[in-house]
Amino acid sequence: MNQFFVSILIILVGGFLSLVLARQFKLMKIVAVFSLSAGCFLGLMDAVTKLLHSGSEAVSFKYLNILSLAFQIDGLPAFFLVAIFAVCLLAAIYSFHYMDQSVDAVRTAVHYFFFSILIASMALVVTAANIITFMLSWEIMSLSSFFLVIYNYESSENRKAGYLYFIFSHVGAMFIFAAFGIIYGYTGSFGFGAVDSIPQAAKILVFIFSFIGFGSKAGVFPFHVWLPHAHPAAPSHISAVMSGVMIKTGIYGIVKIYTLLNFHTPLFGNIVLVAGVISGILGIVYALGQQDFKRLLAYSSVENIGIILIGLGIGMIGVSSGNQLMAVLGFTGGFLHILNHSIFKSLLFMGAGMVLHKTGTRSIDALGGLLKNMKITGGAVIIGSLAICGLPPFNGFVGEFFIYIGGFKGVSLDTSAFVMSCFAIVGLAVIGGLALACFTKVIGVAFQGEPRTKAAVNVDEKGSTMLLSMSILAIACVLIGLFPKMIIHLPLKAVSALGLGYGHVSLEPFEQMTANITLAAVIFLVSCLFVIAIRWFFYRGKTITKSGTWGCGFTQPTVKMQYTGSSYASFILDFFRPAAPLEENHPKIKGRFPLKTYYKSHVNDIAEFNMKGVIVNPVLFLFDKLRWIQHGDIHLYIGYILLAIILLLFFI
Amino acid sequence: MILHPVDTILSLVLLSVLFSFGSSRLPGLIKVLAFQGIVVSMVPFFIGHDMNTGGIFFTFGTLLIRGIIIPMSIFIAIKKVAIKREVEPIVGYHASMLCGLGLIVAATYISRQLNIPSISDYKLLFPTAIALLVAGMFLLMARRNAIAMVLGYIMMENGIYLVGTTISIRARHIVEFGILLDVLAGVMIMAIILQNIKRTFDDVDTAHLRTLKE
Repeated sequence: MNQFFVSILIILVGGFLSLVLARQFKLMKIVAVFSLSAGCFLGLMDAVTKLLHSGSEAVSFKYLNILSLAFQIDGLPAFFLVAIFAVCLLAAIYSFHYMDQSVDAVRTAVHYFFFSILIASMALVVTAANIITFMLSWEIMSLSSFFLVIYNYESSENRKAGYLYFIFSHVGAMFIFAAFGIIYGYTGSFGFGAVDSIPQAAKILVFIFSFIGFGSKAGVFPFHVWLPHAHPAAPSHISAVMSGVMIKTGIYGIVKIYTLLNFHTPLFGNIVLVAGVISGILGIVYALGQQDFKRLLAYSSVENIGIILIGLGIGMIGVSSGNQLMAVLGFTGGFLHILNHSIFKSLLFMGAGMVLHKTGTRSIDALGGLLKNMKITGGAVIIGSLAICGLPPFNGFVGEFFIYIGGFKGVSLDTSAFVMSCFAIVGLAVIGGLALACFTKVIGVAFQGEPRTKAAVNVDEKGSTMLLSMSILAIACVLIGLFPKMIIHLPLKAVSALGLGYGHVSLEPFEQMTANITLAAVIFLVSCLFVIAIRWFFYRGKTITKSGTWGCGFTQPTVKMQYTGSSYASFILDFFRPAAPLEENHPKIKGRFPLKTYYKSHVNDIAEFNMKGVIVNPVLFLFDKLRWIQHGDIHLYIGYILLAIILLLFFI
Repeated sequence: MILHPVDTILSLVLLSVLFSFGSSRLPGLIKVLAFQGIVVSMVPFFIGHDMNTGGIFFTFGTLLIRGIIIPMSIFIAIKKVAIKREVEPIVGYHASMLCGLGLIVAATYISRQLNIPSISDYKLLFPTAIALLVAGMFLLMARRNAIAMVLGYIMMENGIYLVGTTISIRARHIVEFGILLDVLAGVMIMAIILQNIKRTFDDVDTAHLRTLKE
């Protein structure tokens, strides 16, 4: 446990030092990045060793007999720590060249300060071993990330995003408080030890409350509304951390509550699975409709959270129906997807950050042809996109493959589990197809073709630390996809540490599966290389001419002739019109020689669209009625205090 | 029945409460509060447990601050800033006096109800403490002039001091010191706020604060 705390300490000290050194921009960045990454590296090493040796350690501190802080690292926390420290390590390195506006030295320093707190609090959330510690770290995590979201507070859009995030994270925390309150009411202790002794009805209530609370952090539909606003607002490496790992703490919470409750009803699995399928499909549909690169990635996080939940749901159904293999496959697939998603999503956000940094725009339809000048970024983003679509031989495939297999194991079960498994398989397939459409849109429009606006012309990709982080992540995507055997132990250890009545987890079927994946991937790669070799062989000695993309033989081609992202997505969105209403704004074209015209479209998120009518307006109405309490008279305010004191005196 | 010195002093405190409710001008109110501060800080001498050198020194310190320094500084402040001398009551003086009597009675009743054994030697101690607390609150609520409100706050602090000296016998100095610091900080903060109110509204009538409402 000591190494863990030392790494947390290094991270926090780094954040603090950056405040002290705010005047020396370069020195401050070096110190901050170095200590953040050193701390993360130490923590990563510690977490990996703990996970592989199935070690379990616990520490607790007491202060004044009231406030007791307890921490524990075993399989599940260690697994999440691996993801947290790995992504934060690379994000910290990435930030060195990303934060190069020395005008904003103080703001950058403050950003490092909150970044360090965010890393530390995420690590503490997953290691917390009682309710107080958990909620304390949870709140610190929400607040520190709030300050990072409003990094560019000048823009009112970002302030609105921050406000939305603040409200969502606190309403979510309220639900978690309610769940913990029920637990405390029955057990009378803040510890996690006796949670499974509460009655069954209360267990269901606790699970639903905590699912809403943690789901709003994780970005489960319909509690995801804050996510596509807040993630693009933050600096890109922070978006990478938030999308990559912070929302996973919500998943951690759901899994933790599930294991603590130790109540294997099919209901939980069904809830999680259905929520997963819905957020998966809708998340990717909305992603498809976005024109903002980072917003698109944020919606794609909703989709991936959906995939993770499908995995967990299959695992829970497997546990409740006593099918060991299905349970382990579902949980392992879900956990592996957590790790994988944190890798490729942070990669994609870093790529989007590079594009934003060099072109100054987040709009996909303003870009084009970036691959020509941004070879490494483009290549990394392509790898990340292939991985996020779940295509072999990349890492996204492996996790989804396990979930699929788990789903197919469930098909042989009785009615409800059968229906759910089929639902999951169909859902996963739909999600995969739509994800492919979504990311071909990104690659095709932003990275290929010709530059659509001036912003995308003559870009470069300077910034070695940014390229380094992206390259490492891209290589990780490929390596995990090719040799899943070396990484599969991490989620398997975490799953077996859950201790969910399926006994000892045998490794053999997994070794078999991973070996097959490797074999298939190698065959695929070899055949790819073979095709390339054949091409090279036949084109040898022939002249190859290069011309502009989408030239199509026109003598006077213009970049406006290119296919846009919106038109590419529109016919898929048409099908999902009931769930994703498209708002179009363009004047009717009149006459034979129409003058200049415009076209604007916007895909409405039904959750966000209906939130105003269903929740915001009634709440505002209610609180408008209470406005008389704030009358501005200081004497009556003092009267309120007196009243409160008297009430407390008599009733407590 | 022998007249107990502590109870005699405390009856003076109660009288000062009534006087403060009845006084219409700030200098008078400040004087009453100074008197009250001196008298309240004298109580520990007569209760008399652990009155060693340090304790005596300490109590004198309290007396100095409570009875002289704070009232003097407020006095100088109102001279300097040319504040209206009227306390501008929301509840009239006679009604205030009646309220004061009522709340003393209520405080006596409540302290009977609470019945804390360690202070049952002094019959008036706990009622006075509660009466001071509530009376301070009353001044805060029923006077529009900001200085009068500060004085109400100081009266509340006197009440807390009495409770502190009576209930916590062992850690008395810590409690007293904490309260003193509180008072000083409170008065300072209020002075700053007063300055700001004065500068913004050209007056220290707190009714103006209503305009700050959203």
